[in-house]
Amino acid sequence: MESLKVYILIANRVYNDGIRSGLGLAVENHYAYPVIMNGEFPRMTEYMTENIAWIADMEGEIFSCGADAPEDLPEDTTITNISLEELGERMREADIIIPYGLPKQAHEPPPSCSE
Amino acid sequence: MKILQVYRSEPSEDVKKLVTILNRDRDADEFKLYVDNPDYDALLQKIFANDKTVCWW
Amino acid sequence: MAADPNKLGIFVTSAQNMRHILGLAEAAKRAGKTVKVFFTFKSIHLTKSPEFYALSQLCDAEDIAICADSYICEGYDNVNDIPRGMTDKQMRTQAFHGAILAECGKYIVM
Repeated sequence: MESLKVYILIANRVYNDGIRSGLGLAVENHYAYPVIMNGEFPRMTEYMTENIAWIADMEGEIFSCGADAPEDLPEDTTITNISLEELGERMREADIIIPYGLPKQAHEPPPSCSE
Repeated sequence: MKILQVYRSEPSEDVKKLVTILNRDRDADEFKLYVDNPDYDALLQKIFANDKTVCWW
Repeated sequence: MAADPNKLGIFVTSAQNMRHILGLAEAAKRAGKTVKVFFTFKSIHLTKSPEFYALSQLCDAEDIAICADSYICEGYDNVNDIPRGMTDKQMRTQAFHGAILAECGKYIVM
């Protein structure tokens, strides 16, 4: 089948697994564009770093919308800043848009699960 | 292009802005799932009547 | 293979929309359509609900699957604790999501 452009919007700190889902589609020959919304960045474990690099290798891209991407990202890990307006314009060309998991929480998590 | 916007919860300001851009110059429809008893037959009909469905958080 | 215009793909990513998923699948059956459903990440907890069993009975075996990695990551045993209505052959990978995109003319995220 043709390669689809798939945007995966991640708005909730618990749902960075959307990046793994993006990789799953990249492996299936689709263009995966995970978007981390409002600074809900994942912990940059080796596994996460590899997934991000692999998506980029497969002609996908990781975006950050609503907050600047961290400057101390591991080598070979690129997250591109994008405004909400630019994201909307890009998604007009999307074949699939996946608002992944849950919306952003209104309150900060307690210490027991904040890391 | 006919596009359907489905909302699982009340849309945030960010979602509203994205929807405005996505719907521009398109034949757009919407469906709210965050009501007491959604009419799933009506939702199904809308999904099949539109080219694309976006189901927001 | 072209996508089936009468088939709805449902990609389930969160653990709180079971009534919507079952409601849509029942509506699809009434309308003579089919659904293909994949449960990933936190949504795999839904497989423990009675509504999930009802959904499994509405779908052909090859049209409903669970992400095995997600199931294991959330603490379940993917061999000795397969959800009611399912078999080990329905414990799958993210490739099943790719199959939904290939086979289904319509698509929704839950």
